[in-house]
Amino acid sequence: MKALDSTYFEFFSKFILRDLKSDEAMTMTLNGEETFFARLSNAKVRQVTNIHQAHIDFNFIKGNKVMSYNMPFSAAEGDMIIALKKLNQAREWIETLPEDPYLVRPKFYGVTKEETLNILPKNEEMLGVVLDAAAGVDLAGVFSCGDIVRATMNSEGQFHWFKTRNFYLDYSLYNSNQKAVKSLYAGSIWDNNELRRNIQDSQHKLSLMDRPSKKVERGEYRVYLAPSAVGELLGTLSWGGVSMGAHQRGNGSLKDLWQKKKTLSPQFTLKEDYSLGLSPRFNETGEVSPADLLLVEKGEYKNFLVSTRTANEYKVESNMASDWESMRSPVVTTGDLSREDIYKEIGTGLYLSDLHYLNWSDRETARITGMTRYACFWIENGEVVAPIEDLRFDESYYSIFGDALERITNFSEVIPSTGSYFQRDVGGLRVPGVLLSQFKFTL
Amino acid sequence: MNLKNILSTLNNLGAEYISLREVRSRTINLSVRNEVFEGLSSTEDHGIMVEVMMNGQFAHGATNSFDPAEIVRVAEEAKKQAIEASRFSLSKFSIEERPATVGEYKSPGEKGIDHFHPAEPTKLLMALSNEMKVHDHIISRTASLYLTEMDTHFVATNGADVKQNIIRTAVGISATAQSDKGTQRRSFGDDQSSQYGLERFDTAKLLVEAKRVASEAMELLEAEECPTETMDLILAPDQLYLQIHESIGHPLELDRILGDERNYAGWSFVKPADFGSLQYGSKLMNVTFDPTMVGQNASYFSDDIGNLATKEFLIKDGLLLRGLGGLESQKRLNLPGVASQRATSWNRAPIDRMANVNLEPGSSTLADMIKSVKRGIFMQSNRSWSIDDYRNKFQFGCEFARLIEDGKLTKVVKNPNYRGITAPFWNQLKMVGDKSTFEVGGLSNCGKGEPNQVIFVGHASPVCLFSNIEVFGGGK
Repeated sequence: MKALDSTYFEFFSKFILRDLKSDEAMTMTLNGEETFFARLSNAKVRQVTNIHQAHIDFNFIKGNKVMSYNMPFSAAEGDMIIALKKLNQAREWIETLPEDPYLVRPKFYGVTKEETLNILPKNEEMLGVVLDAAAGVDLAGVFSCGDIVRATMNSEGQFHWFKTRNFYLDYSLYNSNQKAVKSLYAGSIWDNNELRRNIQDSQHKLSLMDRPSKKVERGEYRVYLAPSAVGELLGTLSWGGVSMGAHQRGNGSLKDLWQKKKTLSPQFTLKEDYSLGLSPRFNETGEVSPADLLLVEKGEYKNFLVSTRTANEYKVESNMASDWESMRSPVVTTGDLSREDIYKEIGTGLYLSDLHYLNWSDRETARITGMTRYACFWIENGEVVAPIEDLRFDESYYSIFGDALERITNFSEVIPSTGSYFQRDVGGLRVPGVLLSQFKFTL
Repeated sequence: MNLKNILSTLNNLGAEYISLREVRSRTINLSVRNEVFEGLSSTEDHGIMVEVMMNGQFAHGATNSFDPAEIVRVAEEAKKQAIEASRFSLSKFSIEERPATVGEYKSPGEKGIDHFHPAEPTKLLMALSNEMKVHDHIISRTASLYLTEMDTHFVATNGADVKQNIIRTAVGISATAQSDKGTQRRSFGDDQSSQYGLERFDTAKLLVEAKRVASEAMELLEAEECPTETMDLILAPDQLYLQIHESIGHPLELDRILGDERNYAGWSFVKPADFGSLQYGSKLMNVTFDPTMVGQNASYFSDDIGNLATKEFLIKDGLLLRGLGGLESQKRLNLPGVASQRATSWNRAPIDRMANVNLEPGSSTLADMIKSVKRGIFMQSNRSWSIDDYRNKFQFGCEFARLIEDGKLTKVVKNPNYRGITAPFWNQLKMVGDKSTFEVGGLSNCGKGEPNQVIFVGHASPVCLFSNIEVFGGGK
């Protein structure tokens, strides 16, 4: 697909940028993909879709005014005419707009090119292996593979290119009682044996779900949250939790941490760490984030994510966060709880593999609600007793990663993003499991 | 682009069925915060989806290239994928699941994208932001506007030919108040998306709402915490939209009931045998799927497989009658459904979705409802939502609430939340408001599906009273 070719994007961008006048500036950002999706249920194919798409976002500045627009990009000859036509309309509209006092002007942030394009088997071959490995099992989920591009070029000469080819099988297995386990097989190097092992491992876990379910009454219990559950908690924390702009505007959820009225557990350290390699370091405007940025260190506030726009408005220093100031490559550091000691250390309580549908109960106190999901067990005296019926929890981050945090596992898991609204996501996170002395269930 | 010409070139592919769906969406977003212009964004999404059926299996190919040779290549690729996938088909389909509907639809909006110029809307948003400047404690005053216009053309080898042009708009405002007593936010309008254009904006009315939300945010700063107790609960339409969406709409989606969504959005507590037998709510509960309501956010002529849209009762007198599922799910379950197989855009295959799912008005006035309550609470405006993957155990939070004591509205309380379980909750529906309390809303962010899709939905509701609900507030 020519639209996903770096040389052509560079050529196209330079052609458009040459048309700018002396008081104009521009950043162009390319998002594109060639993706195969197979939607699966009962280990059969429900729908298959091949998608070839790309679009370019334009951030156009004239004097102290700014506006943005975009266009579909197919690398057809007509694209240049469309781009120039849209630029001319932007020139007309921008005259009528008020000035932007917090304007972020493009700068030269260097030139980088990163491509990870391992050769994968054909789409239908990989799908065939998946369905063969899952034969006789009730598997539901989605298989996806293909190329993703993120790139940006601006009128100051900056050019960043990120292209990756990867796959994921995001799935869950079900028993006859509708109990389920969830798993993910993802990467950029396909291995039939590794995939089969992943599915077999899930089948083994599912066998634990065959025991009759236990109804756990609402109340407070000792709880172990597996890495996937911790990942869900971080995902919601990205929703205004570590954004400087959100806190300045009154929508932040860790205000007391920021204002140093409260701390989290000394065991808890959270950072952005691009060495994960799942996300480009450059943001929408091509600014390059620090390779490693501490957000919380040993329970104490270090940094929130600050976009340059927020920095301009509130006179703070930018750390080149994205416009939304959400985490793109978060990592929670590990502790000393070994995998084999998890049940013993729970003693009597709950092992929760996943959490679902999190939202705020009260942002002021960082209280969050959500549900247990998938493989969640009642543990008694260090032994698995039974899967549980789903429970609703309501608890504060200041308890989860603070007062109630007893231990953190000595291992962590990399969880690539499988989001695909509008286009396939890049990014992911690396998180350990956590053992909590108490966790409140309300329904 | 002439879709019929391209379709004719695809006839020699030898497929059992082929459709082409061209979608062009153009969207404007404008926002102002604290009287500072925050941005104008003008976006366009334009592409084409090819659907091919081979051996009873559908496959889809999507491209934003309009080069006829590329579309043919995508169709050939889809044909190959359909043949490969047909070895593992979950279900086999036929042309019976693709009606040969012909027709056109135009939403009632008059002023769409081609009428947009930034000057006037920017002036409106600046005025709204300024109107919320009622006190120094109001630290954030936002006003935003979106306008979108979607043109869809669907043609198929069975003769289907449907053109739809839909304009949607909404203006949202919010005020955040902060003092040493905390932070409170009040908003209006984000759930008011409808199929009207720029002509719909009533500046005088919006200015009144702007002043109100700012004053109520200030009022909340001084308010007591919502009490924790079981009491009667009156919900305004701007909370019921979400309650209907999460605890009626989603559980009735047939693809969820079939298990297709288990790995992402979840399953449903509703079983196929429940249709015609489950008392979903009290006798006062009547819920319709109504894509024919003029101007409501998700009205249309046909869904994205060409199925003609009609109004249907999903729940009548509390009894569950019909699910939200298109022709493919209806065939798999042998149950009646609705015309709701919809795609977010040209780059996604159609799946079972909601459209306009509405709670029909009853006969009570708001005054009657309040008068009937000894001890209760009246909550307005959704601010938080969460529900389990079977759509049973939910929790919702609202922005604003007033206690009801001895049949009268009394003091304002902050951080109001409530929780419950879907069917018992709807069976606790005690009074349903009349037409004077009925409001029509619309949302643009319903997420679902693998790959993920976000879509426009509409909900309308009167004010409703529920008895004995668990209510609680914020704090530690």
